Amino acid sequence: MLSVSHLRKEYSTVVAVDDVSLQVQRGEILGLIGPNGAGKTTTIRSILHIIPPDSGTITFDGKPFDETIRNKVGYLPEERGLYRKNKLLNTIVYFASLKNIDRDTAKRRAYHWLERFGLLMYHDAKVEELSKGNQQKVQFIISILHDPELVILDEPFSGLDPVNQIALKDIFLELKKQNKAVIFSTHQMDQAEKLSETICLINRGKVVLDGKLNDIKNRFGRKAVHLEFSGDGAFLTSLPSVRSAIVYENYAELELDDSLQTSLLLSQLSQRLELRRFEFIQPSLHSIFLELVGSNGKKVGSESE
Amino acid sequence: MKKIIAVARWEYLEKIKSKAFLISLFLMPLIMIAVGVLPVILADRPDSETRVIGIIDETKEIYQPLIHHLEERFKLSDGRPNYFLRSIGDEMESFLDKKIQADSLVISEEIQGYIIIRSSVMDDSLFEYRSSNVGNIRMIENIKSAVRDIIIEKRLRSQGLDPDIVKELTSPLEMRTIKLSKTGKEEESGFGQIFFTAYTFVMMMMFLVLTSGQLLIRSMLEEKSNRVVEILMSSCSATQLMAGKIIGLSGLGLTQIGFWAIIGLAISIKFAITMISLSSAFILLIYFLLGYLLYAAIFVAAGSPVSTEQEAQQLTTYITLILVMPIVLALPVMQDPDSTLVKVLSFIPLLTPTMMALRIPIQMPSTMEVLLTIVLLSASVVGAIWAAGKIFRTAILIYGKRPTLFEIVKLLQTS
Repeated sequence: MLSVSHLRKEYSTVVAVDDVSLQVQRGEILGLIGPNGAGKTTTIRSILHIIPPDSGTITFDGKPFDETIRNKVGYLPEERGLYRKNKLLNTIVYFASLKNIDRDTAKRRAYHWLERFGLLMYHDAKVEELSKGNQQKVQFIISILHDPELVILDEPFSGLDPVNQIALKDIFLELKKQNKAVIFSTHQMDQAEKLSETICLINRGKVVLDGKLNDIKNRFGRKAVHLEFSGDGAFLTSLPSVRSAIVYENYAELELDDSLQTSLLLSQLSQRLELRRFEFIQPSLHSIFLELVGSNGKKVGSESE
Repeated sequence: MKKIIAVARWEYLEKIKSKAFLISLFLMPLIMIAVGVLPVILADRPDSETRVIGIIDETKEIYQPLIHHLEERFKLSDGRPNYFLRSIGDEMESFLDKKIQADSLVISEEIQGYIIIRSSVMDDSLFEYRSSNVGNIRMIENIKSAVRDIIIEKRLRSQGLDPDIVKELTSPLEMRTIKLSKTGKEEESGFGQIFFTAYTFVMMMMFLVLTSGQLLIRSMLEEKSNRVVEILMSSCSATQLMAGKIIGLSGLGLTQIGFWAIIGLAISIKFAITMISLSSAFILLIYFLLGYLLYAAIFVAAGSPVSTEQEAQQLTTYITLILVMPIVLALPVMQDPDSTLVKVLSFIPLLTPTMMALRIPIQMPSTMEVLLTIVLLSASVVGAIWAAGKIFRTAILIYGKRPTLFEIVKLLQTS
């Protein structure tokens, strides 16, 4: 659906985005993660043709940007805001009409979404009468009302209470089912971890890490196993596939060789111990990020957690 | 095109409902009426009570005739005399005592004021009116003319001339001013009427540009501060957005003009005034539209980098200054609409519409001049919109820091 390659954008004092490439397919949710000021928003704005990049190409289904693309993308900017003095329904219909949706269709869909978000009673109210969280829901409605093929959401979860975060997550999965391409940015690693199967990690304008979440975790996972058992665990340290082990009375943490076969290890263990728990531990995205950025000697943004 | 219309429609419909617009829609005619009509009404309001005026007459020759004069000439609507003359300090010897008494009468408000006529008046033609309020121009004028007439009469008589004959011989001449239009039609019209027509037009133009310009800047400021502009820019191009805004705004302007024109027409029909001919009205409308577009483009260009309320205020002040200039120039222009200076000024696009508005009701400029200024103005409109588009595209996304003039020039060159 979308392919960005070697994107670069320089401002007078900083290089905001430096050689960023990424792809999103239909039916895929891409998490664009990185600390604040990493270049996420600049990347998004370039994709949306709001600002021109200095170099690099952006294609949609292999074709360069043209005006019709604007109708196929939906956008939720990072900083929230709407026309304060205008009525809710009018505002939604206006933004839809800018995506070439006729007014009747827009109204029908607006009612549908307002109902879904429990905002129906506000349709004739002015935007400023709504709470911040509700305004954000309206903005979200605006970004998807025209049934876009590509939805780009900049920090969609910030400012939402847990209930609405779950509601939003459900819609994410719906969009995926409807075969839309979704990009969302966040600086909260756990959000990305829960929602996206593909991630692109940006720090200081550069892609630090990208790919399928599982691949990444496998790549970075010191393969580790968590054991609970009864019996004598002293032999664990001497097993051939175990690189290192910390053994307690009924509990052990093993770090394993890459070559290890799980079934073999399991049979070896069950022969000599009574296992109560056998669990692979995957490293969190957060720890991978810290490891990566930390090992490069670069500072991690203070809000990266 | 669809999107331009969508933007224009939004700008038009949402702004026409705004309080600022509604206020300006009704306020302007009210101000015009207030400025044009109220002072006349107020100044012409006749007194309802007889006013008592004191007099210290050292010549003893003015007091009596002045009573007759005032009684004869100035009466209240119910027939009572408008002014009652009261001689002050007849029983006193010294002039100073008389004055002190008169002053105290003024302060206790027993008399409106008093006249001092010294015995030297026949030679130096000087007399005084003293009052706590010297702002009642009509009364002062009345007293002055009455005293003057009496003194002149006395002088004439002392020379052996009959005042009535002299008055008849020196009766003022009347001159009718008739404006000849190109078609040879004669039209009686006074300077005041032309002045009023031209002035109304210029004021309307200024008011319109300012109110809608302010609406435009305010809406851009809002879109910037709440970042709606990002959603807009992801939905349509900067050119579409700007075109939509200008068209919507022009729609607002036309609505306002239409509304005012109806009021104006109603007034002129009621009072049977033909202000200007239809053809010159048409030409004026062209100037008006072009001028409006030019200023709209300037507002877009100047308004898009603005990101705080204070900056918006400053900017409006500067633009107001440009707009006010023609009003300052109005009088000299109207006195000599054919001078070279006026012609040169008419070719400055920013001034063309207003200069022409001042000139056309007085004397239609040559066809050549009209055509040239329209062409020049149209070209600047196109240029201004082009430049405004360039600035708008980048500046609309600049938050916080306002770009310097140098940066804007650079922007124009590079993009």
